[in-house]
Parts: sequence; C-alpha cells; structure tokens
Amino acid sequence: MTHEELQDCYALYALGLAGDPERAEIREHLARGCEVCMQNLYRARELTAMLAAAPDAAAPSPRLRRRIMASVGAEDRRFGWAPFLAGALALSLFAAFYFSTRENQFANETLLLRDQLRRQAIELTRLNEAFAILGGPGTIEAGFGQGPKGKVFVNPQRGILLIASNLPPAPDGKIYEAWVIPKGGKPIPAGLFQSDSSGAATHVHPGPVAADANIIAVTLEPAQGSDQPTSTPLLAATLQ
Amino acid sequence: MLLPLILAIHASGGDPDLVRRLQQRDPRALGELYDRYGRLAFSLILRIVRDAGVAEDLVQETFLRVWNRAGGFDAEKGAIGPWLLAVARNRAIDYLRSASGRERNALELEEAEHPSFYRDMESEILQSDRARRVKAALKKLSPQQREVIELAYFEGLSQTEMAERMGQPLGTVKTWVRTALKNLRDDLGVVVPA
Repeated sequence: MTHEELQDCYALYALGLAGDPERAEIREHLARGCEVCMQNLYRARELTAMLAAAPDAAAPSPRLRRRIMASVGAEDRRFGWAPFLAGALALSLFAAFYFSTRENQFANETLLLRDQLRRQAIELTRLNEAFAILGGPGTIEAGFGQGPKGKVFVNPQRGILLIASNLPPAPDGKIYEAWVIPKGGKPIPAGLFQSDSSGAATHVHPGPVAADANIIAVTLEPAQGSDQPTSTPLLAATLQ
Repeated sequence: MLLPLILAIHASGGDPDLVRRLQQRDPRALGELYDRYGRLAFSLILRIVRDAGVAEDLVQETFLRVWNRAGGFDAEKGAIGPWLLAVARNRAIDYLRSASGRERNALELEEAEHPSFYRDMESEILQSDRARRVKAALKKLSPQQREVIELAYFEGLSQTEMAERMGQPLGTVKTWVRTALKNLRDDLGVVVPA
C-alpha cells in the first residue's frame, strides 16, 4: 500500500484501532525503517499524548513516592526532611509572632515612659517656678477663704503661685481661670488650671506681674478660657 | 488538573538532563520524574481503572518500566512526558483487559510504548492550556463521537468491541471514530493524518 492509501490509518493506529490489512502494512513499513510512516506516527501520537492530560486531577497517597523510590533501592529523602522543615517553619512563625508581640509591648511601654517623663519634666518646671516665686525677693502673700480656701504668692518679676483647697474639679467643658486685677483696671488673664479630685489645686503663672496689681481672682470659664471673666469670682485675694 | 500540568510544564525544559540522569541510573532522577509526572500518570490510570489502590500499583509499575527502559530513549529528541503517559495508559489498559477476560494485545501495547515513537514532539504538549483545549474539543464532539474516543482511549476497545458495546453496526462506529478524529485534529490544530 502507498502512503497516500495509508493516510487515514495513522491516527487509528496510534489509538490502537487500526485493523488489518492497514495495521500490518504500517508495521511492515516501520520494520523497514520507513521515515514517512515514522513521522506520521509521531504526529498521530501527539493527539493521544494530549488525551492523556484530559482526565480530572487526582492525587496519589504520599506513600506512593516512597514505594517507587524503595523499589529501585533508593531512600526517599524528600519526606525525611518534611517534618523537620514543617517544624522549623512552625517555630519560625511562632518566633515571628512572639517577637512582634514583644516588640509591640516594648514600643507601648516606651511611649508610656516617655509620656510620664514629659509630665514629670513639666511638673518639675512648675515646682521650680513655684519655689522661685516663694523664695524670690519682694514676694507678697495673700489669703482667701470663703468656700475655697488658700493663699496666693505674688512676685513682681517671677509671677504668681496660687495654692487652693476645697475647690471642686471644674465640670466638663469648664476650667478655672486666674486673673490679675489692677486698681481701677480691667482683669488680666493669669492662666488656666484644674483642681484634682480632692479639691486641691496648685497654679503657677510665671512672668512679671503688673505693678498695680490689687486682686488675684479665680472664675469658672469655658474650657478654652476667656479674655475677660464671664462669671462671678469663686475666690479673690486682695494684695496688701 | 492544573497542579500536575503546571509541574509538567515547569519540568519540560529540563527533560534532556533528566533523561540522561535516568540513563545513568541516578535514583534522584526517578524521584524528580515522579514529581513532574506522578500525578498526571495517577490521574490517567485512575480514570481508566477507577480504583485508587490498583492505580497506585500501576503507577509504580509504570515508573519502574520507564526506569528500566530509559536506556533506549533519545535524551535530546525524546519527549519523556508523553512516553511515560503512554506507558501509564498501556499498563492500565492491559490491566483492564486482563481483569475483564478480554484478549490482551501484547504486541500492540509493546509498540505503543516503544520509546523511539516519542520524539520530536512539542515540549508544551502537556501544558495546561492544551489540556483545556483537549477537554473543550472533546466536549464539542457529538455524544457518539465522544463515546467512541473515550472507549478507545480510556478502555482500549477495538472498533468491533465498541460496536458490540454500543449495539451499533461496525460501519457506523468506524464513521464516528474517523469523524471524531478529524474534528479533534481540526479543533486542536494537530497535524495528524486523519
């Protein structure tokens, strides 16, 4: 038979479907090394090769690889390492989680300490200012006491120190504001402050005080403070 | 389906080296061959024998056969993936025929898996897009055409056996087979003599 006559048969042959006499003819061609038949069969087998990839995927058991390797006398090392790799991976993940948590904790603690340090620095500055007022030359002292009780210390160069008790914390949205009231003049703002839960308050207002200051007063004001008092003074100390 | 195909794709570039190491009886090469084609072979065999235990035995037989016959393979021009899958199919078909008491055509099987027939194939032949196209092409066939291709490829039936199984005249079955192969060839762009 000629190759043209066999043209229809190569795909059938590759699929195992060719019948005689074509099948015998192809075999005879192949046996004598017929290049045309070989080439035609290579191409025909491409189709059968593609059909091999058509079934749905399925996974054999992991043991199968070991069996195959053992059957040629080789050890399947891949699975020997698997538990160690898995263990190392788990340990790495745990360590990463642990150290990231610890790092967060350290970062939070650092922020807290910085905040405490800042508050203490402010408090220290305030105390220094208070001592400077108390110990400064020319400081005068005045008391007050109808409801809130306490004292004010005024140093013309260094500022005002006010110490009060029985002064309940200002309600939400309000704050205490100190005033320097000169003789015959308008009150001058002298700083905002808050009292603690026990009713105690220490307020320092550094800086020169007007020479004609006559009264140190405190009013309850909106939280942002006021330029002029908007309420009746809660306490007033007259400087002698 | 995709994972074994992806493994096969990535493997295709290194096949000549892998074949040479198989020929040098390097057991690690057998392990690599399994990693590349083991799941494909198992999926194919399972589709044919429909029993996972039997399929695993036949996969093992397939890889041992390839291990023992790699010497006759052309490392440069050979396509080891298609060859291995042909061996896998033959092992499964042989099992099926033997189990059902059908005649085993040893000569045909021997020819079909001879390593010298698997050369000059495109290395991309098992790539995932090809597999998808094959599936799509099979779906496009008429039910009868698809059935005869599946009976031939996945059950190893001859055309006479198909005619008996389907209760159809042999001539009709032959027509379905030829038309199905032509349609597959046209759809897949394979230069297969029809």
